[in-house]
Amino acid sequence: MSKACLILLTLCLASSAFAQRGLGYDRVVVPQTRIDLRDLGYSPVDLIPDGESGITSLTVAPNGDVYGATSGTRSHLFVMNPQRGYVFPIGVIAGATSVTHAVAVSEAGNVFIGVAPTGHLLEYTPQELKNIEIGKALEASDLGVAVSGESISALTIDRKANVLYGLTAPGAHFFSYAISTKKFADLGSIAKAIVPGGRFEKFERDRIVSKVLVVDEHGNVFASGDDGYFFEFVAKTQTLEKLAIHVPAVPGREPYTCVDAFLLDPSGVIYGGTSDGYLFQLDPEKLTVKNLGKPLSEYRIAGLAHARDGKLYGTGGDGTEMARMFSYDPATAGYDVLGFVDVNRRPYYTWQAYVIGDIVSDDRGTVYIGEDERISKLYLYFP
Amino acid sequence: MNKANSRDDSFRSVLRRDELAVFPQGLKPLYFHGFSVRAKGEAFNLLRSGDLRMTKDDGDVWAGRHRDGMRGVRFFLAVTLIGFAVQAFAASPTVTVDYRVFPGLAQMDGNWAALLAASDGKVYAGLACHGCSGHIVYYDSKLDKMVDIGDLNTLTGEQGLGLGPQSKVHAKFGEGKDGRIYFATHGGWWFDYARFATPEGYPGSHYMAYDPRLGKVEDFGIGPRFEGMNTGAYDPKFNRIYGLTHPRAHFVYYDVATGSKVDKGRINNWDSICRTLGIDDEGNVYGSYGTGQIFKYSPRTDTIEELSEKLPIRQKGISLGRDYGKAETAWRVVVWDETTRKFYGVEESESALFSFDPAAKPENAVKRLGQVAIPELAARRDVPYATLSLTLGHDRKLYYAAVQKEFDYSASSSGGEASHLMTYDLRTGKTEDLGTMYLPDGRVVLGTNSADTGPDGTIYFVGAIVAKEDSDGRGTAGKVGDTPYRLALFIYHPDAHPKAENAHE
Repeated sequence: MSKACLILLTLCLASSAFAQRGLGYDRVVVPQTRIDLRDLGYSPVDLIPDGESGITSLTVAPNGDVYGATSGTRSHLFVMNPQRGYVFPIGVIAGATSVTHAVAVSEAGNVFIGVAPTGHLLEYTPQELKNIEIGKALEASDLGVAVSGESISALTIDRKANVLYGLTAPGAHFFSYAISTKKFADLGSIAKAIVPGGRFEKFERDRIVSKVLVVDEHGNVFASGDDGYFFEFVAKTQTLEKLAIHVPAVPGREPYTCVDAFLLDPSGVIYGGTSDGYLFQLDPEKLTVKNLGKPLSEYRIAGLAHARDGKLYGTGGDGTEMARMFSYDPATAGYDVLGFVDVNRRPYYTWQAYVIGDIVSDDRGTVYIGEDERISKLYLYFP
Repeated sequence: MNKANSRDDSFRSVLRRDELAVFPQGLKPLYFHGFSVRAKGEAFNLLRSGDLRMTKDDGDVWAGRHRDGMRGVRFFLAVTLIGFAVQAFAASPTVTVDYRVFPGLAQMDGNWAALLAASDGKVYAGLACHGCSGHIVYYDSKLDKMVDIGDLNTLTGEQGLGLGPQSKVHAKFGEGKDGRIYFATHGGWWFDYARFATPEGYPGSHYMAYDPRLGKVEDFGIGPRFEGMNTGAYDPKFNRIYGLTHPRAHFVYYDVATGSKVDKGRINNWDSICRTLGIDDEGNVYGSYGTGQIFKYSPRTDTIEELSEKLPIRQKGISLGRDYGKAETAWRVVVWDETTRKFYGVEESESALFSFDPAAKPENAVKRLGQVAIPELAARRDVPYATLSLTLGHDRKLYYAAVQKEFDYSASSSGGEASHLMTYDLRTGKTEDLGTMYLPDGRVVLGTNSADTGPDGTIYFVGAIVAKEDSDGRGTAGKVGDTPYRLALFIYHPDAHPKAENAHE
């Protein structure tokens, strides 16, 4: 056995036995000068409590503020002003234990929240934030229930048209909400079929449907549904159509595959990530899909974000795995695997995000990564 | 009793701490690994862990094997230096412990927490093997017999599947009302998690039970997928195996009666997972997280509550050099005392001894009782990482095996230094250093990481002793620093001498 191997084994043993981070761990995490994190509130007291802090929604407002919502025994809405630099918990969202990719901000700056399990759509009008009061109810208007008996599982907005679009669970209904007229429209389910094996295999009992929605430059909305096929809400005709294209998947796995993440590129194309961990490019004009391969061996792509270097940043790994970060450079069609999402500085030391709930970036190029665990932080990645 | 043992007994008879002196470390190059000196002037005792061993008591001088032809010179030097030392230094205690090795398992390389002295006199231990399958064994104290129950890969049905091995029981065993011994398995090598959640990686911890009446192990299956059970405890009241997983630090449990496996989510950081879960007599489960905070799991509500109590910890980066590479500070080990209905524990950084009364008001719940690090090290920056070797004796004393150097078996940065046996008397509040721990044959106890008290009051530890190194290394588990070692069960009778004639290897 070579000396190098012995050294490596010794380091491995050291880290496993002591459960103490060795120097070798530095090479498997993202560079520490590129990442930091924020507690969800003001330490050590005014924090969104553990068990209520899983970040499952992030979005960037037109003014640059980053809004987020959590899931757990209760859901909280929070905001982070990048200039201020820390997370400000705004309040507890009424009736919510889960808000998944379901926070959207209008051009006017109003924040819309799609709630699970109640299915209510809420509207929060930003106010001057003075003191953090953990546990205080969020002052929001209740706009009603999108689809009776259904919770809201995803939300997006067409800021030009001032219309919200959403998905529901468990029925996978696609709905719209016109902000100006305050009217919902249920456009039908995009996942009607029972997943093969679902009747006999309990682990496949849920319908497989897009976790996110995306609006293209023309106001058309995309999602994945039955058998992994894309659905398009065509703005011009106000109709929901099942397309002839589906998400990239190993042949035969299409019914078990959905879109995990969408990102509208400034070029007009849409990037996406699947539940099997493939990255793809959807051309909303030509209605074609290009499989860009798998950046990681893990399942899932929890989110995608642009950076000022022209690259896309995302993470892979499902709820039982350890998330890794990657970047994709459209100019070279190449990937870089960046490593575990980890912040190793006092007082956090090697605080690592194993499960990611959502990812966004702002126009300064900062990538915001929301951790979705019992104890969760908001990570800032600086490409 | 043979002549050598007679000398051993004679030697031990003078090892009273108020009669002994410390010899300076600077003399170690003169081949004295460790020794004690009787401070009566005319008599002395000398003991070392290598191949030279001498006693002089009541005029009977005896020398053991010498290394070479210089032995007479060295012996003369030793006697001379000891004479100086007797006059120059205060007393230094030693304590002799009996021991049993694990036959046929010399390559088992670690033991952490996994030690239970059960009600029937059997002493269960989990022996770790990094990169291969761990074993569970028991020592039958009535028959003076060590029994290998089996290797964990075979017991879990994973032998030959090409999976990451079930390398350890890394947490406490527990005894059920049905007499079964409950535990959970753990992985060994993690390769910086390069193989985590991969087909060739570690598949996950198994919840298991050993039935002593049938001599069989029941496998309840994998609990947390891909993760090991870093920490664990069994509660006979609710009949559950609790655990903290590695690497993702989730609080999990297995309900034996219902067969349900529950994951309550993340508690901490992988680098700072609390190493002992404490369970009170009402079945509530406690652990520590963050910077000395305490959490409570209530089985009646199935919820985790983060308490406001904090452990007495020494701040990072101020006084402890070792903490630069370490995450957060937690308790290392706690034991529950049914008499006072309090936990007693040792925190990891400076080995602070504390009590925790879960029924008290938060401001009065945690009290610092002192420090159980070796007294000479207590104020230093490099107080060694606290061991898991804490148990409450029948004499109302807490027994704690402290180390002189950072000890973690093969991962130890240095080695060869003897552990000390510390006590804290709950009746008087007095801390006592009983001295360096030696085997009857003069070898030192290199370190331990588990402890328990038997039904007859015997104190047990598992740890490392110096081993003879075969040419192919098969007789050893590895090296603690430069010292070849193997695992052993240590036996200490608080009120009696060990039976040296039973010590065998």
